[in-house]
Amino acid sequence: MTGGPAAYAFEWSAVWQGLPYLLQGAGLTVLISGVAMVLAAALGLALAVATQTAGRLVRGLVDAYVELFRNTPLLIQIFIVYFGLPQLGLRLSPFLSGLGALVLYAAAYNAEIFRAGLEAVPKGQHEAALSGGLSPAQALRFVIVPQAVRIAFPALGNNLVSLLKNSSLVSTIGMVELMFVANDISFNNFRTFEIYGAAALVYVIMVLALTRLLRVAETRMARPA
Amino acid sequence: MSVLVQSLPHLLRGAVSTLALAAAVLAVGTALGLAVGLLRVLPGRAGTVVGGAVELVRAVPLLLLLFFIFFGLPALGVRIPTFPAAVLAMSLWMAANTAEVVRGGVQSISRGQFEAARSLGLGWASTMRFVILPQATRRMLPPFVGLCTILVKDTSLAAIIGVFELTRAAQETIERTLRSFEIYGAAAAMYFALCFPLTRLAARLETRLGRP
Repeated sequence: MTGGPAAYAFEWSAVWQGLPYLLQGAGLTVLISGVAMVLAAALGLALAVATQTAGRLVRGLVDAYVELFRNTPLLIQIFIVYFGLPQLGLRLSPFLSGLGALVLYAAAYNAEIFRAGLEAVPKGQHEAALSGGLSPAQALRFVIVPQAVRIAFPALGNNLVSLLKNSSLVSTIGMVELMFVANDISFNNFRTFEIYGAAALVYVIMVLALTRLLRVAETRMARPA
Repeated sequence: MSVLVQSLPHLLRGAVSTLALAAAVLAVGTALGLAVGLLRVLPGRAGTVVGGAVELVRAVPLLLLLFFIFFGLPALGVRIPTFPAAVLAMSLWMAANTAEVVRGGVQSISRGQFEAARSLGLGWASTMRFVILPQATRRMLPPFVGLCTILVKDTSLAAIIGVFELTRAAQETIERTLRSFEIYGAAAAMYFALCFPLTRLAARLETRLGRP
């Protein structure tokens, strides 16, 4: 073959043939990032509430966790869980390793986001709730946390979008999600340009859909119940 | 433990390459991002088109961007070696996110500032240069430093296409020693040493510059 750039003929039928497999991969991307989003949001909120209510020891531990996971690459975290932990006798499947690392990484950011949200709720709200006869736990549960979540929501949404994109890294430990499928197909048919282009398009659609969903949730939340 | 000591020089060489990669991306990506960011806040159609392109790049995972440039472009006859391919992919990513920071900074300045400057007879460029950007820069700095932290972490993806940097150095060491936990742990510690000061700086800038 003596083909230069001009000799390259696009073959979009390769995308067409690969589409079912690509969409199957996208399904796993949605599954793993969806589960990770829910767990990371819950863990982040729990940790943020813990730092506001528990003692100095707990606060120190949460701070250490947050800084450790925010300041090291997700890829290294995934490798430590999948390749490193078996050395200590803990062998997890690629799914659990990937999910675990994604959750721990995103929750570290979410904890910071929720903490900022909790601190942004005016002090008077807490005092008013207590003088209204609520216990401190009830005040937290029914007055402070709902407002904090509302304040934190836009930043949380950005982090969840990042999580969706970051889920592509679990392809490195053999999870057959969208990124893995794109590699798999294009290494077999050499239609790298078309296949990666198609995979990019699927990611863009997923990100736009999630962004839209988050915006709907945000306006719904802003409306008083 | 002795394995760790023996592999330290190789890991440190990797860390130096990580810094070189991050510095190259910082230079190219930031310059491009500032230009794109200013184009994006242009009034009218141009700003919208640039904004669409930025959103498109930001919606694609960096890993896919990297594969697209390293494996996808050769199909068109554009063959780029690993290091420049990584710099190019990450610079696109950096530029799109920097442009977003610029937009956020400019839009955070109240409209009255624009209107006041324009009514004094300043053109769009002078308004930007003398009124808006001096104020907006203060607001851009904390998120930009945060972006740099993410950049340093994300240079690890270059290992996947075979660029020699810290993560690749760790993988090479593990191929010889089979001590994943310790070696990846050591690599993580080195990333932490690079990123933690940046995170602290971003937090301090936020409290210092955030005050009116």
